[in-house]
Amino acid sequence: MSSTVPARDKGIARFRTRLFTAMMLVVATLTALGFYLAQRKVTADAERNLQAIFQSELSSLHKLEELRHAALADRCNALAAKSRIHAAIEDNAIDLLYPSAKDELRDLMEGEEPPPEQAGQSLHARFYRFLDSKGAVIKPLNPYNVGELDAKTEAQLALDKLPDTQQIGYIQENTQAGDGSIVEVIAVPIFSTDTGDVISALVIGFKPLELEAKYMGMKSGIWANGQLHLPALPRSTQASLNDKLAGELANSDQGENYFRVDVAGAPQLLFYKRLNPASLFPPAYEICVYPLSYSLAQLHRLRWQIGGAGALLLLGGFVASHLVALRLSMPVKKLALDSEENRTQRKRAEAALASTAEELERSTRYSADASHQLKSPVTVFRLGLESLLAREDLKPEVYEELSALLHQTHRLTGVIDDLLLLSRMDAGHLEIASTPVNLSQLVDEWLDDLGALPDSLDVKIEKEFPRGLFVTGEKRYTSLIVQNLLENARKYNRPGGRIRVSACGNGKDVVLTVGNTGRTIPPGENIFERFHHSSTPSAASGHGIGLNLARELARLHGGDLRLVRSEDDWTEFEVRFSAVDGVIGVA
Amino acid sequence: MRRQGLLWLNAICALFPATVLASATAEGRVELPKSHSAPVQAKRYEIVTKAGVLSTQPPLAVVYLDGSFPQPASVPTKEVAQKDLTFIPAILPIQLGTKVEFPNLDDAYHNIFSYSPAKRFDLGRYRPDERPIPTQVFDKQGLVILRCDIHEHMRGLILVLNTPYFVMTDTNGHFRLNGLPAGHYTLKAWIDSRTTREKPVELKSGQTLHVDFP
Repeated sequence: MSSTVPARDKGIARFRTRLFTAMMLVVATLTALGFYLAQRKVTADAERNLQAIFQSELSSLHKLEELRHAALADRCNALAAKSRIHAAIEDNAIDLLYPSAKDELRDLMEGEEPPPEQAGQSLHARFYRFLDSKGAVIKPLNPYNVGELDAKTEAQLALDKLPDTQQIGYIQENTQAGDGSIVEVIAVPIFSTDTGDVISALVIGFKPLELEAKYMGMKSGIWANGQLHLPALPRSTQASLNDKLAGELANSDQGENYFRVDVAGAPQLLFYKRLNPASLFPPAYEICVYPLSYSLAQLHRLRWQIGGAGALLLLGGFVASHLVALRLSMPVKKLALDSEENRTQRKRAEAALASTAEELERSTRYSADASHQLKSPVTVFRLGLESLLAREDLKPEVYEELSALLHQTHRLTGVIDDLLLLSRMDAGHLEIASTPVNLSQLVDEWLDDLGALPDSLDVKIEKEFPRGLFVTGEKRYTSLIVQNLLENARKYNRPGGRIRVSACGNGKDVVLTVGNTGRTIPPGENIFERFHHSSTPSAASGHGIGLNLARELARLHGGDLRLVRSEDDWTEFEVRFSAVDGVIGVA
Repeated sequence: MRRQGLLWLNAICALFPATVLASATAEGRVELPKSHSAPVQAKRYEIVTKAGVLSTQPPLAVVYLDGSFPQPASVPTKEVAQKDLTFIPAILPIQLGTKVEFPNLDDAYHNIFSYSPAKRFDLGRYRPDERPIPTQVFDKQGLVILRCDIHEHMRGLILVLNTPYFVMTDTNGHFRLNGLPAGHYTLKAWIDSRTTREKPVELKSGQTLHVDFP
């Protein structure tokens, strides 16, 4: 017992370690999950936030542009209403086109350039040009009045065909310095008031509207003609961004999206959105680059917070696991003790059971052996007695004495036979070869035998059973049961009494009832007990195994034997046999 | 001298075609484009533009004898008035060198101008009571499109021809040209600003030639 105590303590320590490890695992997993989720949330928030800023700025830009476009549409409708414009275009007087439009469009070209916030309202144009019916640029005779352009820039204004709606385009203007700037051009169709056909288009060039830098560090620009114009960034950065954008735009069929880029080593979110969807001019995109430094700082802070929380949780978990382990180990300790006690008790019981079984087997074997050992001397003894009785010179007293002895040897043989049978049954060696047995015939035979016995008792026998009543069983043993019951009925009868034998079958069972007059059995006396001896002395007595044997045999046959009643000078036994299928009885 | 006399004769013929005895006549029918609009009651025509082509509505044609005829010493002055914001007549064929008056019969200002290659002019804004009445002499052959700078929808046509022999068909396309000189000529039928059909004709004095423009 003393060696199990440290083992138990060791077990508890192991349990505690396991508990702590599990807790650590859970906390570590939770922390990692927290990290992951926080990072995702911060990133998604930043992206969403920046996207919202980009969208709102673009939409305000869009509103300004819409104002501009509406003003231009008005202007072009007014132009279209001009006879001289029509005359110049329709009557092939192209030389008169620009002079005719000059008055109408004078304010576009004159005046000071407005401040950016009023750019939407005012229509200060860099230049304007008309397109002919094929979409080609009509060259002005005097470009000074309509904004001078070099041939390369002017060529970009041409369209494949005249548009029937406003078209927005972004072209690169080649200034003398070679540092191209972006010009926003709007092509507005001019409809004939006569026919409704598009007869020309007015293309007006503006300085592009710029996004307001509401967000710290935000930089915006335009990507047009495969070239990024983001003046806030150095040229080399622009070039590298340009390559990325070109790849992105080539692979994406979406009008807008965003992706991460590194600008000068700092992570940024680059948004792009098509400025002129479905335009006849080449596609152009608004580009906006937002630094992610703020969200990265936020992420950094959150990481520290989550890490700290995780560490605290781990510490708390350590203490808690310690306490929990202590608390839990007490019942576990008790459980261990209890189970030890249980084990010893069980072992003891098992040992007792084993010895009992052994003894039982030994006794069974012994009784079988004993019966065998007894049988042969009794046979020798009986044969000796029979040969003695065969002599004629015996005195009558001696003859009687020898006869009585011979009778006793017969009884002894019967007892030994019964004992042998019982021991075989106990050992489970008795096998029954079931055949249909004619019970009626069997009972008749035994009753005849009873009647033939020299008897001092004058017993009357009543029979009440159908002829040819068959039961299932081995004839030997069925006969033994019947014999036992009938012999008892005679043995324990009184002079002048009667025996009544009846039998009936109900299809499944056949019940044989044997009743007799005479001394009754006191209640509570277990007459079926092996080697039973009646508590009330009487002249008739048995060896105390007959009823036991009969009942065991009846049960072995799937039936039973029981005492039905024993009162008022009447004792009745009932034995139940299995009926033979289909053979119930023939009356 | 003799040649000059012949010229004179020609001039007289041109001036008084009906009185000249030794003259030929051409008559026939011009197949006109189908008109989809209801017939105009008051014999008023308007100029319509369809795919850049100007024509009259309802359709009619101007049939003229093309050739080289001497410029007359004086040609009668013709008139294209502006009434109810339209040109009356809507189409006016004239001989080269004709002077056309543009009286304003409306209560509004008009500003008649043309950017046509055959004649570029701008009469400026003028009131109905403007005197003298603004005029223009058309000295280049071709189609002149008249417009009003104030009333954008107004269109008028002046067909400047180098011949004194021309006539407008009726709305069914029937025409008759009297007092034509004998000889080989080309008879032309102007249908719209893009379509002019022509046929060579041999005119004989005192005879009537039947010419159809399918």
